[in-house]
Amino acid sequence: MNSVITLSEDQRDALQELMNISMGQAANSLAHLIETQIGISIPKISSVTPSELFTMIKQSNDGFYTRQSFLGDIQGEVMSVVSHHGLTEVASLLEYEAPLSQADTEETILELSNILAGACLAGLSSQLELVTNLNMPTLFSPNKASFVDLNWQHSLVMEVQFDIELSSFSMRVVFCLDRPSLIKLTETLDELLS
Amino acid sequence: MFEQLVGKLPVGICIVNEAYQVIFLNHFFLDRMPSQPAQDYISTPVTTLFPEQAKFLKRRIKSVFVLQHPSFSYWQQRPHIFPFKSSRPITGEETQMFQNMEIVPISSPEHGKLACIFLQDVTAQASYYLAQQELAAALKKEHEEQLALIKKLDSAQSQLIQAEKMASTGQLAAGIAHEINNPIGFVTANLDTLREYGEHLIGLCDALHNRILAHQEAPPIPVEQLLDDYHYDLLKDDMPPLIDESREGLDRVRDIVENLKKFALEDTGGWQSINLNDTLDQMIQLISVQYKTPVFKVTSHPDVINLYCEPGSLKQAVMNIALNAAQAIEGKGFVKIELRQSAVSTSIKVIDNGSGIENQHVKKIFDPFFTTKPEGLGQGLGLSVAYTAIEKHQGRITVSSNLGKGTVFEVILPLIEPVPET
Repeated sequence: MNSVITLSEDQRDALQELMNISMGQAANSLAHLIETQIGISIPKISSVTPSELFTMIKQSNDGFYTRQSFLGDIQGEVMSVVSHHGLTEVASLLEYEAPLSQADTEETILELSNILAGACLAGLSSQLELVTNLNMPTLFSPNKASFVDLNWQHSLVMEVQFDIELSSFSMRVVFCLDRPSLIKLTETLDELLS
Repeated sequence: MFEQLVGKLPVGICIVNEAYQVIFLNHFFLDRMPSQPAQDYISTPVTTLFPEQAKFLKRRIKSVFVLQHPSFSYWQQRPHIFPFKSSRPITGEETQMFQNMEIVPISSPEHGKLACIFLQDVTAQASYYLAQQELAAALKKEHEEQLALIKKLDSAQSQLIQAEKMASTGQLAAGIAHEINNPIGFVTANLDTLREYGEHLIGLCDALHNRILAHQEAPPIPVEQLLDDYHYDLLKDDMPPLIDESREGLDRVRDIVENLKKFALEDTGGWQSINLNDTLDQMIQLISVQYKTPVFKVTSHPDVINLYCEPGSLKQAVMNIALNAAQAIEGKGFVKIELRQSAVSTSIKVIDNGSGIENQHVKKIFDPFFTTKPEGLGQGLGLSVAYTAIEKHQGRITVSSNLGKGTVFEVILPLIEPVPET
């Protein structure tokens, strides 16, 4: 990925609107499942280098990280950052009993990531009429060195934050697309816009 | 054909409806469940068939129906969802199957919304992973043991360094003992002369006494002649300075012993503020006792420098550098110590115009046990001790040397504020 793929203002606006709707659907799904109010931030869309992506994800040491790849018409990875804070409360909404064991905590994190990433992706895919399949999420711990070694220079990322006010829990979901998928995405956006 | 294919897949497939009732099980499931006709399981709730993880299954299936989106479970968090055995019942070890599960939403015209459970046997991967973890734990343990060993070696090294310290103190003491002999020598000689003079005086007095007795009336006593015979003028002039000099010699002996006590033998544990100028003056006095040829000089900007440090190790460090400088000088030469203090750091430069250090040796001089001295004359720990001590003060030590022209060592110590006592 040697050149920066830039979105035109129209493309960006369209993508932002689509993201907004998808995220809203994702928040609704989760709210429905755990029966509580969920807030979402305005989605941020930007082009980043690997080290910028690292900085974006690793904003604090206080967090759990998951990643999950998706395949289909567009391909890429979703990374989620789940706060330590409020996790126990959210786990109890998911019917886990306190105190949480290590396995319970991990399962809760993976489940939350899967629900939100899945809902976002499903929303985006259905609006763009694209087919995508999400794979199993895994826990990981990002480290700067391995990010810098990645063999791409720029990637388009979409970031959104979910907050559960009840328990001061928050979670960030970052979508990254590979280069062919970006081309596919811009083409699809153009079709929608024309 | 598809029904056969699904039946034979090496992956467990179980399809349930929104009431959690089983509507399909493939062979993977059936082979591992109590043998009864597959038909008997149909319409039984999955939570009744597998009560062990009923709560978890129900929750995940519900999530799939509500969100219409796959749900995953991984063996690391939940290894045995279904109570199935893995591996060979006859020839191998029977263990519980490690499972990965994925539940996906599907639908059919007949049943409406459905959830399909895929079950994967990952026992092989899991046992491999667990074996790796055991290996990693064993490695970690070994690593910790090695660390402990390294620590032991470290303490052995510091014991050696202590031994070197003792040796250099001993060397110093030998030099001082030699030097103590000098004043004692001349004090002894002076006292011998004094005794001789005393004998003369007594002789004079005796002679005077006899003459006066013999010539009580006349002629008059030849006093001038007598005084002259006994070198009375010389006695008068020479006796006081002789005694003064002896006194000075004794003072020097006292000073040297005092310095030795203060500098070399003093055990000052802990950090404290010292007057660097006084300390270095004492040190120079001690070194110059042993090495007489070089001219020693200390300059200081500002005139008085106070330093918060650990005096014991810092003195040892500077002493070792200065001793090396003194040893590098054959014949005429100088050892200059320049002290400078700024708002952030203190610099101690030791400059000599001695033999210098060979280029190939410069990198090694701070290595423990590196020495260019003949065997038995140095353990090669002096500069290594200095390095460690400077490091302890968060400082750094640099060297630049010109073979045949001289060497400059510079120690830079950052300003460290005393920690207020709590």
